[in-house]
Amino acid sequence: MFPPISLEILVLALGFILLLAESFSNSTNKRGLAHIAIFCLGWIFAISFFTAPTPATIGAGSYWNFYSGDGVSLVFKRIALLTTIGVLVLALDYEAALAKLLPSAHVGAGTGEFYILPLFTCAGLMLMASAVDLVMAFAALELVTISFYVLVAYARRSHASLEAGVKYLILGALSTGFIVYGITWIFGLTGETHFTKVAEKLAHLRGDDTAILFAFLLILVGLGFKVAAVPFQSWVPDVYEGAPTPVTAFLSVGSKAAGFLLFLRVLEPFLGVHSILPKVLQVLALVAGATLIFGNLAAMPQNSLKRLLAYSSIGHAGYLLTAIACIGAGGGLLLGVGATVGYYLFAYMLMTLLAFAVLTLVSVNSKGEEIQQFNGLSKRSPFLAFAMVVAMSSLAGVPLTAGFYGKFLVFAQIIQAHHWVLLSLGVITVGAGFYYYFRVVAAMYWHDPQETAPITVAPLSKITISLLIAAIFYFGINPNPVLSALRTSAPSVAAAAH
Amino acid sequence: MESTLPWLILLSPLASALLILLFAHRSKALSVLLSLSAVFLALGASLLLVKNATDTLTSIPWIDLGPALKLGIGLKVDALTRVMLLVVTGVGTLVHVYSTIYMADDEGKSRFFGALSLFMFSMLGIVLADNLAMMFIFWELVGVSSFLLIGHWFTKESAAKAANKAFLTNRIGDFGFMSGILLVWSTVGTVEFAGIQENLTKLTANPTFLTLAGLCLFCGAVGKSAQMPLHVWLPDAMEGPTPVSALIHAATMVAAGVYMLARIFFILEPSATALGVIAAVGAITALMAALMATQQNDIKRILAYSTLSQLGLMVAGIGVGAWGASMFHLFTHAFFKALLFLGSGAVIHALHHEQDIWKMGGLRKTMPKTFLTFAIGTLALTGMPFLAGFFSKEAILLAAWHKSLPVFAAGLLTSLLTAFYMTRLVVVAFFGHARTDAANHGHDCPAGMTVPLLILAVLSVIAGYAGFAEAIFGKELFHHVHAAAPVALVPILALSAFVLGTLGAWILYHPAIKDPAVFKDAYRIKDPVRIPLFANKFYIDEIYHALIAGTQEMLAGFLGWFDHFILDGVIVRGICAITWGAGYTLRLLQFGNLQGYAFFFGAGVVVLLYILTK
Repeated sequence: MFPPISLEILVLALGFILLLAESFSNSTNKRGLAHIAIFCLGWIFAISFFTAPTPATIGAGSYWNFYSGDGVSLVFKRIALLTTIGVLVLALDYEAALAKLLPSAHVGAGTGEFYILPLFTCAGLMLMASAVDLVMAFAALELVTISFYVLVAYARRSHASLEAGVKYLILGALSTGFIVYGITWIFGLTGETHFTKVAEKLAHLRGDDTAILFAFLLILVGLGFKVAAVPFQSWVPDVYEGAPTPVTAFLSVGSKAAGFLLFLRVLEPFLGVHSILPKVLQVLALVAGATLIFGNLAAMPQNSLKRLLAYSSIGHAGYLLTAIACIGAGGGLLLGVGATVGYYLFAYMLMTLLAFAVLTLVSVNSKGEEIQQFNGLSKRSPFLAFAMVVAMSSLAGVPLTAGFYGKFLVFAQIIQAHHWVLLSLGVITVGAGFYYYFRVVAAMYWHDPQETAPITVAPLSKITISLLIAAIFYFGINPNPVLSALRTSAPSVAAAAH
Repeated sequence: MESTLPWLILLSPLASALLILLFAHRSKALSVLLSLSAVFLALGASLLLVKNATDTLTSIPWIDLGPALKLGIGLKVDALTRVMLLVVTGVGTLVHVYSTIYMADDEGKSRFFGALSLFMFSMLGIVLADNLAMMFIFWELVGVSSFLLIGHWFTKESAAKAANKAFLTNRIGDFGFMSGILLVWSTVGTVEFAGIQENLTKLTANPTFLTLAGLCLFCGAVGKSAQMPLHVWLPDAMEGPTPVSALIHAATMVAAGVYMLARIFFILEPSATALGVIAAVGAITALMAALMATQQNDIKRILAYSTLSQLGLMVAGIGVGAWGASMFHLFTHAFFKALLFLGSGAVIHALHHEQDIWKMGGLRKTMPKTFLTFAIGTLALTGMPFLAGFFSKEAILLAAWHKSLPVFAAGLLTSLLTAFYMTRLVVVAFFGHARTDAANHGHDCPAGMTVPLLILAVLSVIAGYAGFAEAIFGKELFHHVHAAAPVALVPILALSAFVLGTLGAWILYHPAIKDPAVFKDAYRIKDPVRIPLFANKFYIDEIYHALIAGTQEMLAGFLGWFDHFILDGVIVRGICAITWGAGYTLRLLQFGNLQGYAFFFGAGVVVLLYILTK
């Protein structure tokens, strides 16, 4: 049995080795790097099942003060590994388009780091899953964010990509400032950075609540940016559209998962402070409702699928925030918010990767990312069209897909909390979701194709897409494997609310 | 072993359906092979279960969200299940074999066998389900697969329409079924049969509620078992291939409603009102369908109305509390009605898709094996003593005699009419001279089609005998079959109904077909009995059409107005304006590019800060 930290070390080592190999090899074909990375990540994923969960012990004096290798963190580590594998497969498909946007002498010459940087993002995500200390969490979050800064602006000859990179960098730095400031306030109030100790101190803090509320707000703002919550979502459409498509996929899955995980962790100490609980929940509900409405309504008139998925990503953040906003409002929660959010993120990973995988293949073959490019896809590639139907159905929440079950859990949470306003907002926005997701389906099956050339799908992509489809159905029918893994030692968020 | 058999039965058709639809649909032979092996496997496992006769219940957790909502995928095997399993897999196997010949030249053969496997999976799911939620899921799956099978020849407009009609009509009943399940669940807190039975007192505490829940559940049976007033889909469903009619519309799917009622009888029993309604609906269906059958000319439609009528009898049996007798009749009926359908299929096949009985004639000589088996089926259905139908029908009539005389009278009259229209069918189609060239060149079909007929004929003879039936039903369940005290008058009356009906039809129709002078327009003889009301099925289709058309017009008018002014005018335009407004605002912010975004960001912080600290 390996200690959980070995997984992060392996991923980081893999990243460094590949970086070195890339710089010292003369080969202009970098695809081998991606294949090695995928292969090794697969092995690390397998190794993750042979690790012994080791919860953090406070005061042990080693890194255990910062790091918890419990069961839930292992689930999130696996999600991070799978996401990265998926993104690398997409990156391979995207190579043809990317190569043209790089200032290099040979085709495909500058693509090496494009396959390697996601490994560092992955390591950051995995560390974040285990972080039990504010300092550690922040360091992990920035490891994720900084590698994203590079990846977003990777297509250097594309104005859109550069513009997206600059916007993401500056606004990201702004949000980071808020998080750091928030952490400072928490430290100033409690003198601690470990989550458990912060929770203890906060619960027994006497005096004015305003300082605590201010600290909470600062963290909310910073993480609201990461998860694309209204009103901190303004960067999302531009950055998603400008970034290379595989990076967009990674952003919308990885960045969001990291943000929500950290959000749940940081929220926990604040929920222990009973005097501010109503206000915290009120603000959360407000942000959640605004995010739901904005994401889903603004998605409706979009013509670019990439932009549509950007708004849909905001919409999904809305459902996740809704679940969190219902955290302590009513007793007897069905599952606990931790498991609900965890399952939703898992389902979101599957369906978003699938949608972006199809989008990548279609856009590389059709020179565009508009919904029009999907016209008549059922004739050009029935396989891709079917995959897209599955992705869209799952995103919209059709029963027997993983996405449905995620929404089901969220709605169960809302109903338990008797939060009728959020419930009606949720129902309306799900309806809106059906409208814009199925526009894509309609285009694929009911419109004549603009181009008729069939799209060929590489074997690796075909396997990945098939696995994603199978997983969406499997976990939509039988969610228990994921749920039970999440429940075994779910973060005691729900318990803290009482 | 015992507990894995049910899973084997359920999953082998599913595996076959998936394999055919995903991989094997290009190869007809492979599809047939997969489908056949799945159904034989299911039959073998079912036979083993009947032989061992032990009750099992295996359940794997499916949805588990704490005590509020817990659902399992559970398979329950008891005497009732075993009987149904044997009927479904038994008739299913014969129909599969028969179809290999009947559908030999069909282009969509793979699709047909894929859908057939899907149907077997769904039907077996209903039979094995240990809770109402699972039953409902499979209930809907049966609806889907029967839609696929009825509409198999979807290029034919009538078939496509019939498939739609069947599906939509069933949906009406299913809505009631779902409401019933929710009503039960809301009071009892579980949907498992065992759990409901344990907590039945929670339901019986409020009799009105119980009646309502029972009747809602019954709605599901009204749809699936084609009871009045939702019977209209079944005759039209005859547009599907004949083996489908035999399997789905005679032996299995339509029997699902009766099976479901028997399964939930403990919920219905405490409510006399619910049982009364069920008995009335069943009796009316039995009688009216029999009346309609007397005036049909299409061989499959006659059988379809006959099925309606017999299903009505079974439902009436449930209504008078004799669920055991109803299950017994379901059991025997499955065999002889499947036999009749497959026999009619053989005739249709031999006569190149001629279905009008008046254009047949003389088939007794040209298709002797078919005639023999068809005659056995007819006699079993009409209640000839010592054949299967006689015993089971009598059991229902006996229970009705004790409980409700009107139901008994309706049942007796139905028996008389059944004997009448079936004899009419046999006389016109099989006796006399061939009236068309096609009929003249009739011939018995290949062994693949006749062997199932012979097997079913044997079963139609022996299925009613206590020795055979008891072996399958088991002692305990068979005790319910003959729960009512015997009364000598009942069999005498039933027998006289049979004799009267048969003789009446023989006297009326035998001379008519003998006399070649009465040929009217193109081979059509003048029917000696002509009752337009029956021939037009009480104009129910027309009434529905007018009703639906009328309400649809009104509704459409209203909706049009609503759509135009409220939805389009207020809501959509409003949303549009808001969305575009938001987009426009964003675009305005984009003028300042990053500064705009950062400003927006900062403004958000200020607003949240205000809300948090005010």
